Amino acid sequence: MRGRFDPDTTMGGPHSHFPSTQLSLLEAAAAGLPDEALERVIALYWKPVYRFIRMKFRKDNEDAKDLTQSFFAAALERDFFARFDPEKASFRTYLRMAVERFAANGHAAANRQKRGGEVTFEPLEEQAAAGESPEAAFEREWQRQLFALAIEDLRAHCAASDKQIQFQIFEAYDLAGGERPSYAALAARHGIAETSVTNYLAWARRTLRMFVNGRLRGVTSGERELREEMRRLWM
Amino acid sequence: MDVSDSVLDHLRHVAALPDLSGTRYELECEIGRGGMGVVYAARDRQLDRRVALKVLDAALAGEAQLIARLEHPAIVPIYETGELPDGRAFYAMKLVAGARLDGYLGGSPSLGERLRVIRRIGEALAFAHTRGAIHRDLKPQNVMVGEFGEVYVMDWGVEAVAGTPAFRAPEARLDRRSDIYALGALIEFMLAAPGVAAAPPALRAVAAKAMRADPGARYPDVAALLADLERFQEGLAVEAWSEPLGHRLQRFASRNAVLLWLLAAYATVKLALFFWQTR
Repeated sequence: MRGRFDPDTTMGGPHSHFPSTQLSLLEAAAAGLPDEALERVIALYWKPVYRFIRMKFRKDNEDAKDLTQSFFAAALERDFFARFDPEKASFRTYLRMAVERFAANGHAAANRQKRGGEVTFEPLEEQAAAGESPEAAFEREWQRQLFALAIEDLRAHCAASDKQIQFQIFEAYDLAGGERPSYAALAARHGIAETSVTNYLAWARRTLRMFVNGRLRGVTSGERELREEMRRLWM
Repeated sequence: MDVSDSVLDHLRHVAALPDLSGTRYELECEIGRGGMGVVYAARDRQLDRRVALKVLDAALAGEAQLIARLEHPAIVPIYETGELPDGRAFYAMKLVAGARLDGYLGGSPSLGERLRVIRRIGEALAFAHTRGAIHRDLKPQNVMVGEFGEVYVMDWGVEAVAGTPAFRAPEARLDRRSDIYALGALIEFMLAAPGVAAAPPALRAVAAKAMRADPGARYPDVAALLADLERFQEGLAVEAWSEPLGHRLQRFASRNAVLLWLLAAYATVKLALFFWQTR
C-alpha cells in the first residue's frame, strides 16, 4: 500500500517521517522553527484543506489544489503561527477558519485567472453521496490523514527495527478493507503461534497509538490542547 | 496511503483498547464512557471475578490515587491502580450490578426512597470534601443504585473535567460549592422524575438554594444541605424557605396530629362536663 496516493491530491505529496516526540507548535515557533512546524501542518492538513475548499466553495479539482497551495504559501509568508491564540480556539479550528477567510477572499482564484486558467465546476457527487457538511468532511479527512501518517510512521519504525512481520500482520488484519482473516489463518500464513498474532497486533496497535499521539503533539499548541484532541480522537 | 472510513473507525476503536497483557485482567467489553476515561468490564483471572476497569490518559493518573483514598460505603471501592504498557493509567474497581440513577427513577420510586438516595449521595460528597476531593461532574449518569438499594457515586473528577451543562455550576473555577450546585440540580431532577405528584415546595426551595448562581448564597457545605433535608423529613421548617403562615400551620398540625387530637378530645370532654353540670 506504500506510495498509493490520491492522484487528485498528490500535490500534498508524501512527507518525511517525524519522530513521535515532536515539539508542539508553539514550542517549535519559540525555538525558531516555524518552517518545520508548518511542514508538519501541511503534511497533516493538505488534504483536509483541499477537501474543505472543494466542498465549501464548490471548486473544481485544479482550483481547489491552487487555493490549497496558495493558502499554505501565504501561511509561510505571513506570520501564521504568531496569530494563533490557543486560548480562543484549537489550532484545527483556527486553521479551518483561516482557510475559509482566505478562500472567500478569492486570492487564489484571482491569481489563477491572471494566469489565464478557466474555471470549471465539477459535480460534487461525493458531497451529495456522503451528505456531510464541509466542516464535517474537513474533520473526517483530518482524522484519516492523521492515521495515514501514523501508519507510515509505524511501517518505517517496523522496517528499521526488524519488525516487518508485526507490520504485515497488522496490515493484513487491521487495514483489511473487506473481511478480516482469522488469527489462525494469519498464524498459519506466517508460521507462528496464534498467541503471537494477538501479541503482535496488540503491539502494533499500541505503537500506532503512540505515533498518532506524537503527530497530534506536533500540530497542537501544548499539553492542554493535546489532551483535548486526544480525548476527542480516542473517546 | 488511503484509509477508508471503515478502516479508520476500526483503527480508532482497536488502538484505543487497553493492552492488558502483563496484568491480571482480561478485557470483556466496554461498559461506559465518562469524565476523562473509558470503563470496561474485565475479568480478574487471579480472583476469578468481574471488575470494572477505567482507563485514563497518563496525565490523569492522579485521579486513580485520589479515588483510592476515598473509602466510603457510597463510593465505589478501588481494588488496584496501575499503568498500561502504553503509559495510560488504569484502576480496577467493584463492578456494580444495578441501575444508573436515571434508569432507577424510571421505576417511579417513592419520595421517601428518593430522599434516601439523595442523602446517600450527599454523605458521599460530604466525606469526599473532607478528604480534599471534589466530584466536578455529579449527574444521574454518575450515580448507581445497586440491586440491594446501595448507592454509589462514581466517576470522580479531575481538574480537566468541565462538568455537564444541566448540572454544572456557572462559575468558571469549580470547587466544593460547585458540587453543592450539582447536588441541588440532582435533587431537582429527582423531584421532576415521574412518580411524585407534586414536589413539596420546601424541597424545591432546598434545591433552589443549592443552585444559586452566587456560590456564596448556596449552602456553605453539603452537611448544611443534608441538615435541611433532615429538617424536612422530621416535619420542621427548612432554612431554605420562609414558608407562608398557612403552610406553617398545616405543617404544625401534621407534625403534632396526636397532640392536637388529644387536646380536641380533652376540650370535648370538658365542654360535655360543663354542659352536664350546668344543666
